[in-house]
Amino acid sequence: MEINGIAIDDTFAEAFPMKATRLVVTAHNETWAMHAAVAATGFATSVIACGCEAGIERHLDAAETPDGRPGVALLMFSMSGKELAKQVERRVGQCVLTCPTTAVYAGLADGEPIALGRNLRFFGDGWQISKMIGGVRYWRVPVMDGEFVAQETTPVVKAVGGGNLLILARDTDAALAAAEAAVATMRAVPGVILPFPGGVVRSGSKVGSRYKALPASTNEAFCPALTGLAAKTSLTPEVRCVMEIVIDGLTEADVTTATRAGMQAILERGAAAGVVRLSAGNYGGKLGPFHFHLRRIIAPEAAS
Amino acid sequence: MSAPAAVFELRLRALPRFRVDLAGVTPLALGALGEAEAGRVAIRHGNEALALGELFEIRRRPANAPALHFEGDLSRFDRLAWEMEDGEIRVDGPVGHYAAARLRGGLVAVAGDAGGFAACEMAGGELAVAGSVGDFAAAALPGSMDGMRGGTLVVRGDAGARFADRMRRGTAFVFGNAGDFFASRLVAGTIALGGRCGAHPGWAMRRGTLVFAGETPAVPATFVETGHDLRVIWTLLARDLARAGGPFTALPDRRVRRFAGDIAVDGKGEWLLPE
Repeated sequence: MEINGIAIDDTFAEAFPMKATRLVVTAHNETWAMHAAVAATGFATSVIACGCEAGIERHLDAAETPDGRPGVALLMFSMSGKELAKQVERRVGQCVLTCPTTAVYAGLADGEPIALGRNLRFFGDGWQISKMIGGVRYWRVPVMDGEFVAQETTPVVKAVGGGNLLILARDTDAALAAAEAAVATMRAVPGVILPFPGGVVRSGSKVGSRYKALPASTNEAFCPALTGLAAKTSLTPEVRCVMEIVIDGLTEADVTTATRAGMQAILERGAAAGVVRLSAGNYGGKLGPFHFHLRRIIAPEAAS
Repeated sequence: MSAPAAVFELRLRALPRFRVDLAGVTPLALGALGEAEAGRVAIRHGNEALALGELFEIRRRPANAPALHFEGDLSRFDRLAWEMEDGEIRVDGPVGHYAAARLRGGLVAVAGDAGGFAACEMAGGELAVAGSVGDFAAAALPGSMDGMRGGTLVVRGDAGARFADRMRRGTAFVFGNAGDFFASRLVAGTIALGGRCGAHPGWAMRRGTLVFAGETPAVPATFVETGHDLRVIWTLLARDLARAGGPFTALPDRRVRRFAGDIAVDGKGEWLLPE
């Protein structure tokens, strides 16, 4: 299949079940909400070594937040509810509680609750106050700028992690430009985050390595430096740069929507912009229960 | 399988000579019964047992949710909705003492006044009184440690003395005025007052929040002002209270001063005084 001169591989992205929560961080103004959000979602690109994958879902107007102040919606994904609870506590404790003027709320309505303010309240050293408002418990912790308000718990839901899109381009400029265009469109989709720096990852990995201690290593099939060397390559000589966009979403439909949006953004630019092919990463389909077939996503009728 | 739901309309035949105990007459208890069976339910009238049908004309009709609608002057009827778990009770006139006492769920709406100990030890659900309530509303029953411990109490008229004495959770509104010792010995919870209150408000309150939307009371020496920025929690709280309407509607737009106390006891309670 080819659209606007760009080939679309007959393959699929393989994704895994994860546990996720949405947090709403508000502050005196958008700047400070962003400071807290950026810090809390920092070093959260991959569960391989970060504990969670996290990102900013979107900005919230003052009219959309519980306390009438500007805010940011964050999504955090982890492999288990327990690990997610640990990450939420650490990140909110070190990056939101510490950030001037912030407050933090649960951003999902239903799900298995994990602690949000429940444990952070002990920072109050006995001066903390609980307040039930409209059936929801909040903790008020005295801090130097007033009080830190945190909802007691945040619901955790089953989610989808590891959706991906591979952009195979003629050179670095073309690959970056395509990736940036795709990221800009995909970030507008609700319920998803692109956890890597700038939404893009250049070190796509495979499971395992020749070293015992390393659980993941470079995916030589997509490395242009190894096109003529590796036993198995997915590249042709004209592909000299590959970028990947990893997508975590609250639902399978969210990941599908984001993948489609990204593909469309790249395809609209056409082959003249330097993209040769679109592909996706999978493990043969036996590991992850969620399969995002690129051709079916972009043209449901043609592929079926 | 749950019993088929029904609405019972109970019209009072005549004012009883003695006080009547309505404990046990709840929407769920009557829901499974027919009209005649409901009429044979025994209730206490003074020292004697009486059939419900002797005091009320009873009409039953099927409905989606269980409910009781009382018509008449029930000011001699105590323990309306006592320990009720679910369903709805509406009274088109006044009721006696202990209305919605120990309520656990459902809605109780009283169009007239309620007597003493209304909503005392209520744990869930809602009591809405269009008139006034007597003393010790939302308080503890004699001998108990805790008063109201959940749910919502809405009093559109005035409240007597000792309102919310020893209350520990839930939200209570008084649209009018409250008597002496308003929220005395409060353990926790939220109380919003639309009018003015009598002497010694918040006496020995340990935790909890009093919002004085009406007349600002004199702040006792055992309360201290905290000058910090509390706009976040105030916005959350005021927006929730504003849904009750009346004198609370404009709360989110008002700036607020906060006093902590009663420092004669725990001192973790607060008075919020909108300007």
